[in-house]
Amino acid sequence: MSIKSTELPGIGTKYELETEKGDKIAIVFMDSSIQLYVLEKESETPAVAELNAWETRRLGSILTGAIIEAEKEAVEVAFSALSDLRISIHTYIISKNLAGKSIRELAIRRRTGVTIIAVSRKSKNIINPSPSFSFEKGDVLVAIGERDQLKTFESEILEI
Amino acid sequence: MEQIALALFTCLILAIISKNLSLPPIPFYILAGVLLGNSGLKVISADEVFHFLSQLGLIFLLFYVGLELKPGRLISRGSTFLIAGLIDLNVNMLIGFFAALALGFSYYDAFVIASAFYISSSAIVIASLVENRKLILPESETVVWLMIFEDIVLVFLIFFISPEMQHPFILILKIIAVVCLLFGIVKLVKQGLLKILQRDDELPVILTFSAVLSTAFISSYLNIPEVLTVIILGSALSTTNPRAFERISRPFKDVFLILFFFFFGISIEFSGNLSLMQALIISFIAIGSKFFSGFLVGRILHGSSFAGIEIGTNTIARGEFSIAIVAIYGSEIISATVAIMVILTSIVGTFMAKYGSKIKLVLTKES
Repeated sequence: MSIKSTELPGIGTKYELETEKGDKIAIVFMDSSIQLYVLEKESETPAVAELNAWETRRLGSILTGAIIEAEKEAVEVAFSALSDLRISIHTYIISKNLAGKSIRELAIRRRTGVTIIAVSRKSKNIINPSPSFSFEKGDVLVAIGERDQLKTFESEILEI
Repeated sequence: MEQIALALFTCLILAIISKNLSLPPIPFYILAGVLLGNSGLKVISADEVFHFLSQLGLIFLLFYVGLELKPGRLISRGSTFLIAGLIDLNVNMLIGFFAALALGFSYYDAFVIASAFYISSSAIVIASLVENRKLILPESETVVWLMIFEDIVLVFLIFFISPEMQHPFILILKIIAVVCLLFGIVKLVKQGLLKILQRDDELPVILTFSAVLSTAFISSYLNIPEVLTVIILGSALSTTNPRAFERISRPFKDVFLILFFFFFGISIEFSGNLSLMQALIISFIAIGSKFFSGFLVGRILHGSSFAGIEIGTNTIARGEFSIAIVAIYGSEIISATVAIMVILTSIVGTFMAKYGSKIKLVLTKES
């Protein structure tokens, strides 16, 4: 198996590979989408799918083995080399009862094991907020942890 | 003001219709100009501003062409690129030239017609390849690079058909000077350019617009065809970040180019039955000639007639460059002839590109 890449000026870049069994696959990267061609051995007409950027990324992550399972507002990541490690990333919206409280005050990591990795406030993003960071109503926060830890976080801290 | 608004709005509606029918929009823009302009209802007449904006369309089209002509990557393409390009060039220029001569055009007119006859529409051809999902075929690569070869030839065609107001030797010297100057400047300020292109604000747009416009201005000052200098500018800038320049100049190109096609349609005068017959004959030969040259390329480079049919059917459509050539140098009779050729070949070409594989299937069954 070998992968050949060719430039198609005005269109984009084409990657082609032929599998051991003789099937052909071509992927053409264009400005805002990709075309994925599969041509079975001894067949004349290829099957084609056109994917947008998001679909391409999803397909790519499935093919590379880092399986991402999307829940509503959450993704769970598993790595092929570390099969017993499954990390969840979840977003939450801060309600009125947590407004004004800081991360240290709530002792989030000590009580639940969950880490807050980012907060989005009025379309501004705060990455790695410090322990003294205090929440406001409407903040969207991104929390990372194991699934059970996030469950604890939901019940203990957010009280939902 | 209201004329341009009316023109653009008409084109918007036609564009929607043509996209729904999977037809190329270019012939519709020209037809709209014909119908609303001098030869038709006479609703819109071309004024100075309209003319200027349509010129901008031409200038941005050729700047865009230049951006794909990165010197290094052309040299690395090698012999297949050259063989395909030369077959396409020779077959179509010769057939186009002698067909035009036989129909009674003068030598100069026949050469201009042959140039318009030779050059396919990159826009329509590439859109067809993507839409008909042909990119897996090795032939599509040949077709795409053929378009690039034609763009390079376009530079020379513009040079050859430019009206002789000065000694060609002096013109060549001036062009060499412009090439050295533009490539030199870009090399000097490359880092600065790359920094500006990364910005989110209006700077990249102002930079692109003013670079293109001032290059065009300087060339009219030096008495060199401005379409030539903007191609050279594009080629010089392709050594920096061509994708960014394409992204920025695309809105200008898209809008002004529509006005350019429309304006071209307005200015066409149809006269007599004879020229209509001539135009129909030329169009018919134009379809056959591209099919033939494509077929030869397929036989020689891919070793199969099917590849030849694929390349032939996919390169029939003529469009923006043919119009550009006659808009720059053509007389009235040529303009009408080429307009009809573009309208017919682009529509027939689009259908042939779509159903070319059907022709292949029928042939397979029979053999």
